[in-house]
Amino acid sequence: MPFDLHFIARLIPALIEGAEVTVELAILTFAICLVWGLIVALANSTRGPLSWFAGAYVQIVRNTPLLIQMYIVYFGFSMAGFGLSGFASGLLALCIQNGGYVAEIYRGGLQAVSTRQYEAGRALGMRRWTLYTVVIIPQVVARIVPPMTNQAISITKDTSQVAAIAVMDMMKVAQVWVESSANTYDVFLGVAIIYLVLTSVASVAGKLFERRLAFAQ
Amino acid sequence: MKEFAPLLHGYWYLLRGAGMTLLMAGAAILPATACGILLAMAQVFGNRFARSAVVGYLFIVRGIPLLVLLTFTYYLLPLTGIDLPPFWGVVLVMALYYAAFMSEVFRAGILSLPQGQWDAARSLGMTRRLMLQIVIFPQALRLASPPFVSLCANLVKATSLVSIVGLWELTMASREIVERTLAPFQIFLGAAAIYFCICYTLALYGRYLESRVLHGH
Repeated sequence: MPFDLHFIARLIPALIEGAEVTVELAILTFAICLVWGLIVALANSTRGPLSWFAGAYVQIVRNTPLLIQMYIVYFGFSMAGFGLSGFASGLLALCIQNGGYVAEIYRGGLQAVSTRQYEAGRALGMRRWTLYTVVIIPQVVARIVPPMTNQAISITKDTSQVAAIAVMDMMKVAQVWVESSANTYDVFLGVAIIYLVLTSVASVAGKLFERRLAFAQ
Repeated sequence: MKEFAPLLHGYWYLLRGAGMTLLMAGAAILPATACGILLAMAQVFGNRFARSAVVGYLFIVRGIPLLVLLTFTYYLLPLTGIDLPPFWGVVLVMALYYAAFMSEVFRAGILSLPQGQWDAARSLGMTRRLMLQIVIFPQALRLASPPFVSLCANLVKATSLVSIVGLWELTMASREIVERTLAPFQIFLGAAAIYFCICYTLALYGRYLESRVLHGH
């Protein structure tokens, strides 16, 4: 029966416990990707074989499904003798895939600053350090915040796929509860609302950050 | 090469799975595009009520993972008494989900046309319908085509999720072969290679379209 209050009272703590895993995965993935994506983007902007590797990495991870990447890490690595836990495999696959997307966001941000900005800074007699910290980086950051916010939302949603490799995130908790209780409506509403709250928090945080950086536009 | 023997035995099965993936993606892309265009028009030309309805729809769809919607459709469809085969249930959910993202692409296409195009059409005395038909839409669709194609690649990748709710396509086929051969690394890499061929082709086509948009014809 839908909207059974006793059921909901037991369901909510369980879902929140799952949501903690979801949030943990999302925050770790986003933090790691911010660094890893920058490394890939910088490697991509060099000349030579390094850039070729970085470019191939970005194309390969962006054009294959996250779920398959998770299966390769989770099942493939354990077959090869160094098995990772479900959580670690999920995190690794999430970082591998989203690192490709984040690298492209960095690349777009760097390309969007015109070379005239560099020339103007140099013409004013700025040192390299001052040029980057005062002129270039603020403009890049201001440009990448909106797509990064979208990526954070997308990562939050992507974490639901770790349910397929037996991690007890919110999605998996919901599956277990639906199968054991048959109270599908309540579980669905609960999960949907919590995901909406999580993605909205990411979106609002991005907007606030964007407003603080408005001076650089 | 002996390590890749399982892949040689299973490749035909994988390719059949890929055929199913393409069928599913194609079946979802057509209604998703139609709904996406309708949503975009409602948001650009609609009254306040239509606009806020679309905004609410986008908020909900963009905040909830596709996997959650797929899983619960799978559980809810039998409960609601709608007699829909699982294939069409999944296609319906994917189409409605991607319609939201398509609408953003088409809306951006319509809004990025310069004001001069609207003014010129109006000053030639065109009716609203004629103006949309021969001035606005052809140009907006051309502008929207590169992101549209990359969205299609995303949709192809997202079809892998339906294997979690038990439908047979490329990811499910690869899991079945892994269960028989116990060679997860090789088989999942093979599946990833097939996904890559499909999605990278789309990505290259998108890049070609983009260069055409940027440099005229």
